Amino acid sequence: MIRLLLENFQIAVTAIVGGKIRALLTALGIVIGILSVTLMGTLISGLDQSFEKSMSFLGRDVFFLSRFEWFGGQEWWEVRNRPKFKLDYVDKLKEQGKRIETVAPVMERGLDVSRGEESVVGVRIFGTTPEYQRTTVVNIKHGRFITEGEVRSGSRHAVIGWDIADGLFGNENPIGKDIKLGNHRFTVIGVVEKQGKFLGLFSLDNQVVIPIGTYQRLFARRGWMRMNVKVDADHVNEAEDEVRGIMRRLRGLHPQEKDNFAINRQEAFRKQYNMIKYAIGGTGIFITVLSLLVGGIGIMNIMFVSVKERTREIGVRKAIGATRNMILGQFLLEAVLICVLGGAIGMGLAWGASFFIDKFIPSTMPVWLAIISVSLSVVVGVIAGLIPSYKAANMNPIEALRYE
Amino acid sequence: MSTLISLKNIRKIYTVGLEKVHALDGVDLTINHNEYISVMGPSGSGKSTLMNMIGCLDTPTSGQYEFEGELVHKMDDNQLASIRNRKIGFVFQTFNLLPKLTALHNVELPLIYANVIRKERLKKAREALEKVGLQDRMHHRPNELSGGQRQRVAIARALVTNPAIILADEPTGNLDSKSGDEIMQVLDSLFELGNTIILVTHEEYIAKHAHRTINLFDGKISKDTRTK
Ligand SMILES: Nc1ncnc2c1ncn2[C@@H]1O[C@H](COP(=O)(O)OP(=O)(O)O)[C@@H](O)[C@H]1O
Ligand SMILES: [Mg+2]
Repeated sequence: MIRLLLENFQIAVTAIVGGKIRALLTALGIVIGILSVTLMGTLISGLDQSFEKSMSFLGRDVFFLSRFEWFGGQEWWEVRNRPKFKLDYVDKLKEQGKRIETVAPVMERGLDVSRGEESVVGVRIFGTTPEYQRTTVVNIKHGRFITEGEVRSGSRHAVIGWDIADGLFGNENPIGKDIKLGNHRFTVIGVVEKQGKFLGLFSLDNQVVIPIGTYQRLFARRGWMRMNVKVDADHVNEAEDEVRGIMRRLRGLHPQEKDNFAINRQEAFRKQYNMIKYAIGGTGIFITVLSLLVGGIGIMNIMFVSVKERTREIGVRKAIGATRNMILGQFLLEAVLICVLGGAIGMGLAWGASFFIDKFIPSTMPVWLAIISVSLSVVVGVIAGLIPSYKAANMNPIEALRYE
Repeated sequence: MSTLISLKNIRKIYTVGLEKVHALDGVDLTINHNEYISVMGPSGSGKSTLMNMIGCLDTPTSGQYEFEGELVHKMDDNQLASIRNRKIGFVFQTFNLLPKLTALHNVELPLIYANVIRKERLKKAREALEKVGLQDRMHHRPNELSGGQRQRVAIARALVTNPAIILADEPTGNLDSKSGDEIMQVLDSLFELGNTIILVTHEEYIAKHAHRTINLFDGKISKDTRTK
């Protein structure tokens, strides 16, 4: 049985090689189908990886309180008139919220940072408290983070991101050295380890963290403030209700009034992301199914032609003792082989393209995709080849031998 | 001599439109091992139908067919394929070689379906080609061979499984007389080696090679003469 399969394999290879170009052209649909399914899979798995990495900076158990919803919905004029956050919310939230573990106020603006002749433009300056470290990922590489005392005293100490350390200091140790945020002199007390980009959008290494008191004194007493609220990880939803209740009380809102603040969660990103993912996936699947369908019909067609052209051959094979199943197997295998060949080309192209994608979204082609692709090709080949092969298998040998 | 084939009251009726064509109309025939038979008769008398019947390519509308004691008329498709493969060697007027395969691989073909291992196959195919005098043309494709050579490849293919009978339907019909003679010499020598051969022909001088001549007329055996 195995031997027969091998023989049929040889026959099929000979037949395909004999009509190379025609076979390749008909396999084009399969090529495109497999190309799109593998590209889509590679893209999505790459997106997934970078998304999850980025999401680790927005903990599942951290709320980001601010005036704006991350993913809109509200009228602009309504949002614009919302009150600002005040620093004393921090203690009130901590006192009143049973499920609140900590609260870090955050103020943020862009500024150029320099040291002598060297400068880094468009740096994000964060004014916050030591609690900030507990609400997001800040791994200190050298030195230390800001302290409570520094926040109270409003000292000019700064924790700098990797790109800034690299840009201003190169191989030098930045700890204890001075830099300028705008026109203000600060001393570097810590360097954050390299973190990469958030969703590929902006660098997390292009940041400077300073005590919030200092920030308010030097840059903007009345600037926008937001709060990172870390809550009990086991009761995130209850905690959200609690935070909402406290905030409404602080704002003195009547029950019928709408919230005039936003509680943002990682979930919001996830929802948006899933929508994008489904859009890509849906498009990919649509293209795949369509191409495989067109490709399959093409293969079926070429197999019908092949069977017709080789009618005499079928007659001869039957006359010398080939059974129905052997003929069926021969043509089925030929169809499958054309499809798998097309699939392999598609995968090869996708593999090449994945290096290109990798430049924008770090991604590699997962192994399961290759397995799926091969299986898909085989299935298409079997389906497309079945009717023509069946026709070949059931030919009357005498008539087949007489066929001109 | 032992009985190889026995046909009893074989009929083959084709229905074309409203008309029924009695291609074979009650044929009784017994063939022994190592016979050399020629079949003659006018065009349309049923010679090819008889050959296809004997060769298990076709099944009778009615009647009994025994091949080495096995009841062919009761066999299913797979059994027929198997008996064709093991017991019967066909030689056609139009050679019917596969154009993309070399002589060697054409001859090897029946052994593939007989599930013989490759090495053994090639050995047997070479031997068969030697028997028909084509040892130096093994790697040629059919279009690189003359008509007579092609027909010899076809005979080698028929031989290679060491069948019980070789059926040749007008094997010289497409050949010039010189090539035809060569083919007849090959068939004669195969007969000498102990093979059983049935051969359809229109030519009296070709029929004379055989030891028994069967004449067909309108699907019936009109004459059955032993000539040697
Ligand atoms: N498949 C078929 N369908 C209908 N009639 C057929 C078929 N095959 C053969 N015949 C008829 O049967 C008769 C015998 O044909 P055949 O055996 O080919 O004759 P021969 O080989 O002696 O010339 C002819 O009349 C032919 O037309
Ligand atoms: Mg005929």
